[in-house]
Amino acid sequence: MNSNEIAALIVSQGEKAGASDVCAIVVEENKRMLRFSNNSITVLQAWNTITPTIYMSMGPRRTGCTIEDPTPEAITSAMETLTKTIRLMKPGDVDSRLPQGPFTYSTIQNNYDPRVPSSTDELTDAVAASINSALDAGAKRVSGVLAATEWNRMLRTSTGNEGREKGTLLELTVRAFVEDDSSGQGVSCSTTFQDFNPEIAGREAGTIAKMAIAPKEGKEGVYRAVLGPSIMANLLNTTALSASAYAVEIGMSYFPDKLGQRVASDTFTLIDDQQFPGGPGSHAFDDEGFPTKPTTIIQDGQLRTLLHSSYTAKKFDADLTGHGYYGGDSGIVPVPSNLMVEPGNYSKEELFEEVRNGIYVTNNWYTRFQNYQTGDFSTICRDGIFTISNGELAGPVKGLRMSDNMLRILQSIMAISKDRLWVKWWEVDIPILLSHFYVDNVRITRSTK
Amino acid sequence: MEDLAENVIRRGLDLGADYVEARIQSDVENTYTLKNGIPDTFQLSKAVGIGVRILVNGALGFASTDKLTKVDVEDLVKLAYNMARSASRLVKNPVKLSTDKTVQTSWEVKAASSPEDISPEEKFDLLLEVEHMLDPQKVGVDLPSRYMTLSHDRQEKFYVNSEGTRIHGRVPRISLWYFLTASKPGKGTLQRWTHVGESRGWEAVQEWDPPKLVSDEAKTLGKILEEGSAPPKGETDLILGSEVVGIICHESCGHPQEADRILGREAAQAGESYLKPEMIGTRIGSDHVTIVDDPTLPRSFGYYLYDDEGVSTGERVLIEKGVIRSFLHNRETAAEIGVKSNGAARAVAYSREPIIRMANTYMKPGNYTREELFDELKSGVYIKTFMEWNIDDRRYNQRYVGLEAYLIQNGEVTRPIRNPVLEVTTHSLYSSVDAVSKTVDFQAATCGKGDPQQGAPVWTGGPEIRLRRLRLGGL
Repeated sequence: MNSNEIAALIVSQGEKAGASDVCAIVVEENKRMLRFSNNSITVLQAWNTITPTIYMSMGPRRTGCTIEDPTPEAITSAMETLTKTIRLMKPGDVDSRLPQGPFTYSTIQNNYDPRVPSSTDELTDAVAASINSALDAGAKRVSGVLAATEWNRMLRTSTGNEGREKGTLLELTVRAFVEDDSSGQGVSCSTTFQDFNPEIAGREAGTIAKMAIAPKEGKEGVYRAVLGPSIMANLLNTTALSASAYAVEIGMSYFPDKLGQRVASDTFTLIDDQQFPGGPGSHAFDDEGFPTKPTTIIQDGQLRTLLHSSYTAKKFDADLTGHGYYGGDSGIVPVPSNLMVEPGNYSKEELFEEVRNGIYVTNNWYTRFQNYQTGDFSTICRDGIFTISNGELAGPVKGLRMSDNMLRILQSIMAISKDRLWVKWWEVDIPILLSHFYVDNVRITRSTK
Repeated sequence: MEDLAENVIRRGLDLGADYVEARIQSDVENTYTLKNGIPDTFQLSKAVGIGVRILVNGALGFASTDKLTKVDVEDLVKLAYNMARSASRLVKNPVKLSTDKTVQTSWEVKAASSPEDISPEEKFDLLLEVEHMLDPQKVGVDLPSRYMTLSHDRQEKFYVNSEGTRIHGRVPRISLWYFLTASKPGKGTLQRWTHVGESRGWEAVQEWDPPKLVSDEAKTLGKILEEGSAPPKGETDLILGSEVVGIICHESCGHPQEADRILGREAAQAGESYLKPEMIGTRIGSDHVTIVDDPTLPRSFGYYLYDDEGVSTGERVLIEKGVIRSFLHNRETAAEIGVKSNGAARAVAYSREPIIRMANTYMKPGNYTREELFDELKSGVYIKTFMEWNIDDRRYNQRYVGLEAYLIQNGEVTRPIRNPVLEVTTHSLYSSVDAVSKTVDFQAATCGKGDPQQGAPVWTGGPEIRLRRLRLGGL
């Protein structure tokens, strides 16, 4: 069966079973991945899958399913399980309905390149280019991951919505080392080869790694800090996810009761623009068939809206925002998809001058919250970390952790640079276009023994 | 279906591959979610497909599909072969596989009471029973957010390789995950999530007694909110509870002793290790510290008998009496270091390559009774559970922030303290252990690694341990 037939079968079976609403999303994915380490390719991977996802409701009861087994028998069996279970469920709190169509969907510009996922030779060349540029910049060994994906997404609902879109995505992470504790990371993320820059990513990784040679043990303290795009991408993913109305409901948001309030400095504006041409996470419609539109989450520091699916919109008595996406065990929940931060007027070097004396953190990993509602968290500073002295980068340091509070970080954004970069990698699920940030009073800790 | 896998081997060898393996895997998971007392959703997840790994001229190719027709699978073999052959020009360190015995066998964990035989109604009713017990009048604290999921899954694998190994494996798993937010006016909020899970059936849930388990947690949160004070700072003696010891063993012993990290294969994402291949025999802790990883622990969440390269497994001693004894290996890293694989290669789905994973990592018990452990402390801090934690990507600098924690005075556990911060290096942590209790306990967890992410079921665990003269940190 093709995607159309699968979607039609799901909707038809759901309607016959007496569902109030039923929705089928079928994603066909053709993906290649090259992993490399120590300047050598370690494994090549390929995926060729059709994955139907189902949403079904009966009044205030909701259920769903993903099936990586696109046969009529498997789909029928899954629909029978869903039907049997939903009839036995006690009612939920809200009788929400999928958006009533039909809608007209836009076509996202510049999000498809027929050369992707491309031949192994082309991808191997891109890997070689990134390795060589990192080595040329001074690295001794280079590791990374390059993924190339072509996807087709088909949606059909019992409420008259039908849509189809396709896209491609290239994602490269390069990590270069000179010594075990001097490393740097570069990324390139693009929907087309035209905007894909493996050499630049490799050079960035190699340059940071070389600058980070022989780091001294860093010191605990409260710093003025320049935070690079990678670390801010990770932290601001938590900000955008905190704007999900579902996260607010379950206590995993630091924005409860903050709608309309100032939550960040007035230099900060965060948008989820799923219509953005060439956006790695752009989509014409969400998994409920509602047309997407640019959504300003935080404008000039003020929390303007929460993100909604049909369920949360009904519960919060709010308008749909086009963010209902399938989230695994939670079913369809509101999540952001294609984030961007309004650029500032500074160059990166001007931010160093503004800070005068402080610290520059290029990357991070392993962010964990002590309390999602208060925003207390810590994260490991990874790859090049440098002191800033008299407005210029001084020596590299190591062994540091940011142990702070996200609301305090957002409110302490002093300035933002103008050159933006798409960041999406292992620690950044939702792609985000952003630049360097000057953040005041950043709390840095380290091991005490 | 097995014919498809056998055909993969024939086709791969015909094409000229040096080694071929195929794994047909089925994962079916059912998840029931209760949110703030309301049945939120039931979710079914089913993934059935085939993963193929081929070695050509030292280059490794992995391809997978859920289209299980003969034509699609033959195309998949060609794709994996062609990718590997094409990329071999950039393979500077050719992949070799260690030599292991071929086996033809099957293994299975049988549920005494299959969760599939329990009605969805009964599963939601159990969660509602938990909810009933969370009434503020009963637990003494407001719980503005309560989120609980009950999941059971069934995993079946058929593994075959070109060396003659054929293995069938089946395992059921069941787990309960809950996330509570507790609040008291003027005292702020506390959050707690916990995961219990086993490779068993419904009988496990009945033993857990979820209503008591979760309501006891809520009562504890209320007590900490009501009575908790700021922790002491500076040097102190510590006793860590089993839950904290488990995460420590997982993060700063299990992960750094994964040989793929040590050799740099995960450097760009999950990171590397503070250890080098030649550091077997290096002392990293006191004589009291022995840590193992054992996939064969009965009932364990990370249970298996053969890994996804067809290698049999058993207890792996990682640290013995403070000394690094072995690493976790797959066949690739074992060949590179010159040892035998100890069966640590796992894939969480047909669509994932097998990579080195922990299973059930824990510290071995010592000789102390719990009373003896505490009796010898005039003053100190007891950290029983944690919420926030992390560790650097070389697995050397780590942080654990206590959730349920108490002051110890004259050998007695006294008043609760809030958020004590232990920020310490791996060497200092393990070297500070001077006593280990006799009783071991385990917690379930989902360990993340790989790209695409592979969330692997594991147990973490250990006894309660005493550490001398560490400094509590934080700003």
